[in-house]
Amino acid sequence: MDSQNDYLTIALPKGKLFSLSADLLAKVGITADDLSDKSRKLVITNEQAKVNFIVSKTADVPTYVEYGAADIGVIGKDVLDESGKDVYELLDLGFGRCHLMMAVPKDKKRAKLTDYAHTRVATKFPNIAKKFFDEHGMQMEYIKLNGSIELGPIVGLSESIVDIVETGTTLRENDLEEIAFIKEATARLIANRVSFKLKFDRINELVTNLHEVLAAGEKK
Amino acid sequence: MEKDKNVWEIPYGMRDYLPDEAAAKRALETKIARLFLDWGYDEVVTPTVEYMDNLTRGSSHSLEPHLFRLIDRHNRTVALRHEMTTPIARLVSSRLQDQPLPVKLSYISSVFRYEEAQAGRQCEFYQAGVELMGTTSAQADAEVIALAIESLRQSGLSDFQVCVGQVDFINAILAQYNIDDDTQSAIRAALEKRNLVALGQLVDALKLPDNAKEVLRNLPLLNGGAELLDRAYTMALNERSRRALDNLSEVYRLLKAYGVTEYVRFDLGIIRDFSYYTGLVFEIYAPGLGFPIAGGGRYDHLLSDFGAACPATGFAVGIERILMAQQCQQLPHYSPARDIYVGYAAARGAEAIERARELRSEGRVVELAMMPESREMAERSQQQRGYAELVYLA
Repeated sequence: MDSQNDYLTIALPKGKLFSLSADLLAKVGITADDLSDKSRKLVITNEQAKVNFIVSKTADVPTYVEYGAADIGVIGKDVLDESGKDVYELLDLGFGRCHLMMAVPKDKKRAKLTDYAHTRVATKFPNIAKKFFDEHGMQMEYIKLNGSIELGPIVGLSESIVDIVETGTTLRENDLEEIAFIKEATARLIANRVSFKLKFDRINELVTNLHEVLAAGEKK
Repeated sequence: MEKDKNVWEIPYGMRDYLPDEAAAKRALETKIARLFLDWGYDEVVTPTVEYMDNLTRGSSHSLEPHLFRLIDRHNRTVALRHEMTTPIARLVSSRLQDQPLPVKLSYISSVFRYEEAQAGRQCEFYQAGVELMGTTSAQADAEVIALAIESLRQSGLSDFQVCVGQVDFINAILAQYNIDDDTQSAIRAALEKRNLVALGQLVDALKLPDNAKEVLRNLPLLNGGAELLDRAYTMALNERSRRALDNLSEVYRLLKAYGVTEYVRFDLGIIRDFSYYTGLVFEIYAPGLGFPIAGGGRYDHLLSDFGAACPATGFAVGIERILMAQQCQQLPHYSPARDIYVGYAAARGAEAIERARELRSEGRVVELAMMPESREMAERSQQQRGYAELVYLA
């Protein structure tokens, strides 16, 4: 039987990054039959290519990788920074582009950012938000929500939100206005610290191949 | 409120060792202590609590949040030791200055770091290691690596990898491109975290020719066997970076003589977490463990921070991490020998004491019953308590 050490285990997030990641990896020959985020199987194996895929909830990908349950993974920079996990960040995959920002109801906009000090902010990203406000010398009350963040100000739960934005449609529909840009985020290839050393040749080859595919994509 | 279970909490990041665990830990420590003695390293013991200024000497400020700090009776800030290299540097520079060089010292002790506790990473953990002070020779660096490898082999581990790097190679490369200090420390931080994306962004922003940028971007990927050094020589444009690589070649030649090169790879991107390292550095990894199992390297300036310039090198292994790696590599669980249970009938207690003494002097592990028992009861006790044999005085 093959030892697990011969296998490269890859954690992929369910949701919008899944098919983009799977397609990109397929281009460098890393894929498996019935690799799908709808699969009931928790671990999908390709014995020939010696690859295991773990398809997990987005926020869990950095955890699998930090503990070495997965050697590498694909995850949005927003979720990665929020998790604070100690993993190696190998490659900017360029897709899943969005940005983190602070938004407030249009009709309750205040003159400057610091006017919001000591108010409540609803967010799925309390760690990133706290870092941002700390850098501006602002103390805030953080209200952690797990979805529909924009509901916060509408129902009077908070004065503002910190959330990710791709197109801005959700903001407009809810009469919210972006008042501060926090950071941009794209999907990243991450690796476990020890796997990076013990499986260096395989991971390095993968990074090099992905690099070429991405560079070719940019030229088009 | 009444507690429904009799379980009392211990502070965050601390743990108890139950008899089985403590026995495995003690057995491992005993083996390592013997090994260090066999190689001519003398054990030292330093206090658990030191003045904070002494512990942070030679290290960057990033250390402070990880220290367990206390205030003593005279309002001085003291802290629990977070590693052993700094206390031993203090000890050697203040109390062992007259020793003939090189000084070879070892330790096995607990250290304390406030971190997010995880498997193999508690806030109090045990380290065994050596410090070799008073020589810059490659022989010293090779001995330290070979001894670290031998510690793991004696622990029964066979599957592990030593990655060797050279801090001065990175410093020299950064110097050869005249990169300003702020950018240098940002690049070092990106290298330490192996954040290739951040490194790429930093490098892109520099005004340098493309081939120079390529060299900088590739620093974290300089990982390979002996042939890697040849590749690195093509990147080394100044005397200092070539000297750093010469040092690695020399150490590698000596490691061949030790017969341990099968474990060794080069990884020139290694930047250890303590800022006092100046030359060769290394980390050892084992499959299944998310953190290095051991690490070390050369720190030629730390002793001069204590006023007694003296080059030095050393390593530390994590005792808990070896124990975890033993489990991952499915080594048999250590259990101490339990040879003989001595039971006795009423009025034979004094004879039983004598019999137990005799058996122990023959080198057997003997437990003596604490009260007279019938033969049946003694048999049951023997089995319950896990002894191989019963000696019963009727």
